[in-house]
Amino acid sequence: MAMLVPSQILPQTGETRRLLVKWVIAFLVPVLVFTLVWSGEAMLNAALLAIFFPANFSVSTLAAGLFMLLFYGIILGLVGYLVAADSGRQGMIDLWISMFFFTVVPILLIYITANLFVGLAASVVVWVIYYYGRRLVQLFLSSPSLPPLPSLTVLDTEMRATLTTRARLGSFWFALLFSLVWLLADLLFYFTGQYGQASLLFLIWIVLRTVLLPVAGWLLGGVGGQIAVRHALQANGNGGNGDRSDTPVSTRRLRLLSATRAREEARDLVPNDLPLRSTGARNFYIWLLVALLLFYPMIDPFLFGAGTNARLDNYANAGYYVILALGLNIVVGFAGLLDLGYVAFFVIGAYTWAMVGSPQLTVLTGIRINPEIWPWLFWPMLIVAALIAALWGVLLGAPTLRLRGDYLAIVTLGFGEIIPIVVQNLDKYTNGTNGLTGIYSPAFFGVRWNVSTSEPYYYLILVLIAIVLLANVRLRDSRIGRAWVAMREDEIAAASSGINLTRTKLLAFAAGAFFSGIAGAYYAAKLSTVASGNFSFSDSVIYLAMVVLGGLGSIPGVVVGALVVYAVNVLVLPQLDALGNDPTSIIYPIYTHILQVIPNFSFSNIRNLIFGIILVVLMIFRPEGLIPSTRRRRELHRAEFEGAEITSLDTPPGAPGFESEIHVE
Amino acid sequence: MTAEYEQTPQPARQPLLELKQVTKHFGGLAAVQDLDLVVYPQEIVSIIGPNGAGKTTVFNLITGIYQPTSGEILFDGQPLTKLAPHKVVERGISRTFQNIRLFNNMTVLENVLVGEHLSLKASILDAVFRPPWVKQEEEAARRRAIELLSFFGQHLVDRQDEYVINLSYADRRRVEIARALASRPKLLLLDEPTAGMNEAETMEAVHYIRRLRDELHLTILLIEHKLMVTMGISDRIAVLDYGRKIAEGLPDEIRRDERVITAYLGTAATSGRQTWQVTFRRQPEGEASNHHE
Amino acid sequence: MDFLTKTIRLIIEGLVTGSIYSLVALGYTMVYGIIELINFAHGDIFMMGTLVTLLLVTNVFHLSNASAMPLGNLLLMLVVSFLASTVICALLGVLIERVAYRPLRNAPRLAPLISAIGVSLALEDTAKAIIGPSAVTTPPLIPLVNYSWGPILLHNTDIIVLIVAVLLMVGLQWLVTSTRIGRAMRAVAQDREAAALMGVNVDQVIAFTFLVGAGIAGAGGFFFLLWSNDTSFNIGFELGLFAFTAAVLGGIGNLVGAMLGGLAIGLIRSLMALWPETPPFGLPHGGVSWQDAAVFAILILILVFRPTGLLGQQLAEKV
Ligand SMILES: Nc1ncnc2c1ncn2[C@@H]1O[C@H](COP(=O)(O)OP(=O)(O)OP(=O)(O)O)[C@@H](O)[C@H]1O
Ligand SMILES: [Mg+2]
Repeated sequence: MAMLVPSQILPQTGETRRLLVKWVIAFLVPVLVFTLVWSGEAMLNAALLAIFFPANFSVSTLAAGLFMLLFYGIILGLVGYLVAADSGRQGMIDLWISMFFFTVVPILLIYITANLFVGLAASVVVWVIYYYGRRLVQLFLSSPSLPPLPSLTVLDTEMRATLTTRARLGSFWFALLFSLVWLLADLLFYFTGQYGQASLLFLIWIVLRTVLLPVAGWLLGGVGGQIAVRHALQANGNGGNGDRSDTPVSTRRLRLLSATRAREEARDLVPNDLPLRSTGARNFYIWLLVALLLFYPMIDPFLFGAGTNARLDNYANAGYYVILALGLNIVVGFAGLLDLGYVAFFVIGAYTWAMVGSPQLTVLTGIRINPEIWPWLFWPMLIVAALIAALWGVLLGAPTLRLRGDYLAIVTLGFGEIIPIVVQNLDKYTNGTNGLTGIYSPAFFGVRWNVSTSEPYYYLILVLIAIVLLANVRLRDSRIGRAWVAMREDEIAAASSGINLTRTKLLAFAAGAFFSGIAGAYYAAKLSTVASGNFSFSDSVIYLAMVVLGGLGSIPGVVVGALVVYAVNVLVLPQLDALGNDPTSIIYPIYTHILQVIPNFSFSNIRNLIFGIILVVLMIFRPEGLIPSTRRRRELHRAEFEGAEITSLDTPPGAPGFESEIHVE
Repeated sequence: MTAEYEQTPQPARQPLLELKQVTKHFGGLAAVQDLDLVVYPQEIVSIIGPNGAGKTTVFNLITGIYQPTSGEILFDGQPLTKLAPHKVVERGISRTFQNIRLFNNMTVLENVLVGEHLSLKASILDAVFRPPWVKQEEEAARRRAIELLSFFGQHLVDRQDEYVINLSYADRRRVEIARALASRPKLLLLDEPTAGMNEAETMEAVHYIRRLRDELHLTILLIEHKLMVTMGISDRIAVLDYGRKIAEGLPDEIRRDERVITAYLGTAATSGRQTWQVTFRRQPEGEASNHHE
Repeated sequence: MDFLTKTIRLIIEGLVTGSIYSLVALGYTMVYGIIELINFAHGDIFMMGTLVTLLLVTNVFHLSNASAMPLGNLLLMLVVSFLASTVICALLGVLIERVAYRPLRNAPRLAPLISAIGVSLALEDTAKAIIGPSAVTTPPLIPLVNYSWGPILLHNTDIIVLIVAVLLMVGLQWLVTSTRIGRAMRAVAQDREAAALMGVNVDQVIAFTFLVGAGIAGAGGFFFLLWSNDTSFNIGFELGLFAFTAAVLGGIGNLVGAMLGGLAIGLIRSLMALWPETPPFGLPHGGVSWQDAAVFAILILILVFRPTGLLGQQLAEKV
């Protein structure tokens, strides 16, 4: 084989060879497992059949095939990136073990449990055990952990070219080995005669594939390498492209930064000790995730078999929690205003569409709308509902402006209690406890919406989340976002920097409520019914738990927090009974033991007990949340940093204990 | 200190800041009493006085954090009374704090950008939709922030992405001044800008405070304990004790003023050169080490 | 019942429930005063107090008819269940502090809050696992005696609860103002670090605060059951909400304020029943369904005009 390819394809130096082996193997295992054990190949084959045999044609199988193409493409790029970005200091075996635990384990667990959330939950448990085991081993061996700063190599043009070539090679070899193994597996299949009618076509396909994959690897690996080199360390200054925000940091500047800060910066640089965690690699993960989310409804049947609709329904519900958590994060995370009544705005949003988008409108105002057009009103009303909620955010925020800390919390809590009561008691308009039914779903060209198909809602919520996320990120990075954080940090200093505290607080309330209103309108449309009894203080509490658990002020953290809380509360815990009754599951023996002691035991009765314990445990082990914003993390470990960094001086008079907190002069 | 900085600017000009009979009571305590003070454009005026004399309170009254019990404060001929702190900033007064109030969990650059809040125009909708002019505005703000940092040398520019919590004490004071400058003030109030600095850093601070006036044409009102600083850079000095102004004049006059000497240095004070190297502050225990000038 | 009788009866009921809110509010206020934590689990500790009493009374003493019980047994039952609910709840409070809050003493402010919410959920479900999801009723714990003078109708249970509440509050006030540990508590509340430097064992003082607060809530649970004869797994949550509101209304950190706040909320809630079913001027109907809204509306109004509650004093905020 080696004779056939130009000599350039062979790794030149020992160092490069080592890198190639390291990364190629690290990725080969999970990708092979996904392709051959789980559904990767099934999706591709289905798509092929759909192309060549019109009888099998369906858009969704084609889409699944398209997803697989994207998947391999991104992986090839990623491999290239990693080979180029690696400083080579992390051990080979170490990496393989990590990769095994963080990719192969979840893939297998999800495959075995045939349930995304149960599989992921089980993986998290495995990860925690692995993490602690690893720590123990490290302590035992007292192996020195890598120094915080990466090898600060400055890359010259030649070096850059070498890295790009290296990336090409990495991706090429990965693709080559992968396609060979795949070919072998398929040939076995072929000669055992598993593929009847399609056999010749099949043969062509597997041969073609084996040839094409390495070529794609060569090309895409080059792209990955280019991306890696873009983040390379520069000799000095901001270089030519001073106007870019992601300008590479100069060596000099990096050396000036404190260790913690440098570690944060170093993640973005190339070469780098932990390339898997670098910003560049993160972009690849994001692309993978985006592809997965976009194609999910089509690939779900391949992954988990029947029941796609119900699963999509769950995800479509989880989605509005994400929006709620993002909105609340503005108020609590950015602006630091503890809001215990956030559910109020959700109610307002929900009832806005419920009253306009249901027959109640006719009852109240006598207006009749053509039922063809009525559902279309959802779109403008989505904005209107959000605006109304925002208006209420301002109205309810106004009385709290003079309040501090927990007095604010209790007033918001009060509003959270009052609004549902008001809604319930104004039964002339809202139909009281019985609620409103027959709320219209949205309408859109070429989409059939009804309560029993979840796919449109899945996409709708995806779009809404994308918009809300974008808005959140932009707000965070804007003048307003900085004002929020400044206000959270120190109101007096913020005011003395020209920030209008009243306005800024009200803006935070309004923005938070706005997103809550969107979530509310979506909720009403999706459920097609609202009832005042469904909203209570405990909902506000759950939203808060999502935000704090995920990481206050951290946008990715909050998204994860919302999904985790939703998954634990709605997807995992309710499944425990079913799992307990299933003799093949892990918890079956535990369950039967408990049953012997407590005869009519059921997990559903102690759902909140388990959930509560999870909350406590998570908070104790990760008080800063799952994915803390870098800011929070520092707040938490401030003492540590203080000790580490203060260089020349004395105890600052501002230090704790020097003067009491409030007596700032 | 060199002669050129000891010249008093012509008092005939229209005053930039004028305090008329300003009084502030906290319950029974008169923190500031019947204070008259005038600051002319491009002057450096110092307020000195022992602990608790009411110096910081004067700053808080000017910046709208406290409202005076009686009296009037005029800035550019307009009354400042009843203005909220951010309105005062809008008028062109910004300040630093005795106990440095930076946003500790923001980076150096972000801190300065917060100071630019007023000069940026993006509303919440602009922030979300981010039209090109907002992008340009942000870029310009960043450039300006870096420019302001470079006022203190390349050193802070290099550390623009550092969290202020990781900075040395002297650097934090500099960042705080940069943040104050970011709102484009006419009058800068500095509350003990060299407290906690060592001698070299203090000298440097003296130097850049002068440059603030000479290069940026700012007017500066300064609270300072270290005579080395006040005597060196002030055009005029006002002395407060128990909320009252007990003396005002040129540094040399204050240096020779009997009331000041007896009030602050007690009988131990001789007119020897040595004494002037000491601070006016009656030092609390733990802090003494910060002030070995 | 004529209007006057009804009103007086409502006032009495308001005072009684109000004093129970007060008892629970004391725990909120003490804990908040000392570690600035809204202890969401506190209401559920109160619920645990009712639960302990309930279990003892029905499963150990097999109460069916209090007036048929020998006086000795009856007294024994009352004393044992009172002590048991107080002590068990006090210990529970300490345990919760140790497990769920102490590790978070230096964490960001909201972490202990979420932890408290977790504890609250866990306690509720524990109770649900024990007594089931619906409300449970006991026979009267003591033979019911009614006193009436003119329009005034009083039960002996009303009198007991009011007297005990007053006694407990006076005792607590004494504890906090006049004892060594009380001084230590106030010192820690003012400035934890300074107190530690002065040789106060901060951990112990905080644990003691939880012990006392939870103990009072447990006692409150006992008397609540004595008075109302029913409980359920989720009364703690709602009652806790009102008790916390009471603490804020009175000025959080202030014991007397918590008592006043509790009484005020009790009165507001019960007097809302006077709202006519068909009010004039097209006003919304149904007073009882508005009672919670009324509580919060009044709370908000008061806070808008007195941002630190009725008796809370403004911290001298120096800038
Ligand atoms: N918000 C406040 N409430 C009550 N008293 C206050 C307040 N702010 C300041 N004081 C008191 O007013 C007096 C003057 O305080 P101020 O901070 O102005 O002194 P200072 O001259 O700045 O002293 P130092 O040199 O220590 O900074 C002091 O006695 C102080 O305790
Ligand atoms: Mg001062």
